[in-house]
Amino acid sequence: MREVAIDVPVEPPKELESLFLPVPKEYVEEAYKKDEFLVLVGPQHSGSGHMRLIVRVKGDVIQEVIPDPGYVHRAIEKLAENRLYIQNIPLVERPAIMDSANLNLGYVRAIEDAMEIEVPDRAKYLRTILAELCRIGTHLYDAAILSVFLGHTTGFMYPFGIRELICEALVKMTGARFTSSFIIPGGVRRDVEKETLAWIYSATFAIERRLKSFERIFIKNPTVIARLKEVGVLSKKEAIEFGVVGPFLRASGVEYDARKVEPYEAYDRVDWDIVVADEGDSYSRLLVRANEIGQSLKIIRQCITDIPEGKVISDQICEGNDIRGEFFDKLADIVLPTGEYTTITEAGRGSVIFTIVSDGESNVPYRLRIVTPGWLYLRGFVESLKGERLADLQAIYGSFGYFPPEADR
Amino acid sequence: MDEFVKFINSGVLAPFKRWGTKWSLWPVHLVTACCGAEFAHAFACGYDGERIGALSYGIARQTNLIIVEGAITRKMAKVLRITWEQMPDPKFVIVMGACGLNGGIFWNGYNLVKPSEVVPVDFFIPGCPPTPEALLRGIRQLQKKLETGDAESSADFYDLKLKKGKLPKFLPKSPKKISVNPCIVIDRRREVDWETGKKLLESFKVLKVENMVITAKNRIALRVSADRIREVASELRKMGFDHVKSVNVIDLPAEGKFIVEYHISSYSIREFMPVILNLFAEIPRAKPEVDSLSDIFPSADYMEREMQDLFGVVFRGNPWKGKFLLAPDTPENPLRKDFKLQEEVYVGD
Repeated sequence: MREVAIDVPVEPPKELESLFLPVPKEYVEEAYKKDEFLVLVGPQHSGSGHMRLIVRVKGDVIQEVIPDPGYVHRAIEKLAENRLYIQNIPLVERPAIMDSANLNLGYVRAIEDAMEIEVPDRAKYLRTILAELCRIGTHLYDAAILSVFLGHTTGFMYPFGIRELICEALVKMTGARFTSSFIIPGGVRRDVEKETLAWIYSATFAIERRLKSFERIFIKNPTVIARLKEVGVLSKKEAIEFGVVGPFLRASGVEYDARKVEPYEAYDRVDWDIVVADEGDSYSRLLVRANEIGQSLKIIRQCITDIPEGKVISDQICEGNDIRGEFFDKLADIVLPTGEYTTITEAGRGSVIFTIVSDGESNVPYRLRIVTPGWLYLRGFVESLKGERLADLQAIYGSFGYFPPEADR
Repeated sequence: MDEFVKFINSGVLAPFKRWGTKWSLWPVHLVTACCGAEFAHAFACGYDGERIGALSYGIARQTNLIIVEGAITRKMAKVLRITWEQMPDPKFVIVMGACGLNGGIFWNGYNLVKPSEVVPVDFFIPGCPPTPEALLRGIRQLQKKLETGDAESSADFYDLKLKKGKLPKFLPKSPKKISVNPCIVIDRRREVDWETGKKLLESFKVLKVENMVITAKNRIALRVSADRIREVASELRKMGFDHVKSVNVIDLPAEGKFIVEYHISSYSIREFMPVILNLFAEIPRAKPEVDSLSDIFPSADYMEREMQDLFGVVFRGNPWKGKFLLAPDTPENPLRKDFKLQEEVYVGD
């Protein structure tokens, strides 16, 4: 075949300055000279979660992706330095409100680690139930958003229908649909009645049954399999190198779950398995999370059957069993001893790390560092896009369940 | 053209146009923050926003309504304005959540903008997050506005009557106690029953670090001088610690230094999985520069860029220059201790 060079002057568009691109002008010009294009995906796009991806394509094959995060950076780390330890509990939930209990738990555990508080068993079980409900909710949310990305609206409706049950369970337990702030240093806010737990127990079966129809309509749908299989592959070596977390790491074949490697709450007393896949593609990322829902339901049922009677708040915090009415008196003035306390918690999308640095005199943290799963797997997500078709970007984006409010904090 | 617009808006066909707009208020999909979760619930099968003629839609060019979901940051404000400008006439804006109303829980954050300063707002829906019912009620109010022509509040607020007189003698004090002269110790030794940790400390002796301490179970702090941090990190990498979980900077203005921390852990070796090493070094505050570890641990790259933004610490060797997380007009180095936020005021009752 004869190649013909046509001397057409290619000029990068004039609007570059007004788009606030975080890349230098030379980079754009260089891409244009090499017969490549920069495609801006976002911030306003038809999926959920708004961030900009600057995609460099040759033909329609992605060569390089530069992420431009920070559209939802709400300065949580700075605000936390100016508030009391207990005032930070609602604040640390806000990055991912559908996963509030897990983020809440991570922060509270760091305080308990510092103050060496023993949490009563009943509170541990209640926390586990709450954390697992939120995990199921997060996985369903991500599955729904993935179906929006693929243009599968029915696949969006099913998980949100199931999520209504989760929200109902959270309302019955804590009083809020999303941001419950139920977990406090030393235990939980109040005891949960037997009838509520029985309701949640029967709800797990309802969820399981509805999940089967979701599986039929979305997960085992040949169109979905064709869109997701062998797309956005992240090998085990890459996943480890780029520090991917949570279900996305397990989809690449690494058997790592913070609930197993460093068990907290009641996770070492219940029987469950880590879900692992070997392929590392978008479809296995979906499958791992779909199977994790089953494991979470199993954990919830065991917790409800085994839950012991007793106090729900530690003796070190409060003599009675109910902290209502004296919450501020007991907890406003807590001061952590000098030092640094790091906890790792398995949230819905992966490990969340809380580091509290205390100076030993103030009742506000000196520094609170939150590293959310979204921020940790962003690098892996960007790397997995390389070499794929531009049309597959949505599928990979959705398969990671990337949630900018969580990543940017 | 103007005559045509005038005819459409006030001519014979105007009632039909209003009727059409009323039942096709499709909000453009601009999920700005976490209220998007409740927004999605409102349009899913539980609440089914479509029955009142609203359905989330992908493109701004064919919609009349933006629902701003929660906090608007400095970076997002530009996007909100651009999206709003792209919409055809008539344009409506509903702001959802307490953050959009007055800042909410983030009211004194450095990166927040009020949406009402960016675009003209028709309705506010308070709540953190508001329930789907509240959101649908907001859309109903907008429909009523289209019908009758004036916007009314769906909630009744009664005015607080303030008593005139002197200020109380003692205003309640802030419950916050902030140390004037904070003393930060990262590597405080704690006695724990952890055999593997003691063995690990033995094996770390070859690293020749300044100090190594078990700070808790599964946590070890390693203090190094700033010029040896790369050397120690590559040794750790060879030992099997393969990824960075967190990069952190602590600002100590009184002592004139920054502490740069790397939390390093392992995925490939099973015994090391729960262990988190805290590799930290102190650097002078006047010249905040430290060697980057992003080529040894690629997972540290984005977090180094973030710290570069928030603290102004330069990571030598990290190829990224300029802002990554923050907008161009955000204040410089906002997480340093000398950048103060607005304080809350406690008033007497």
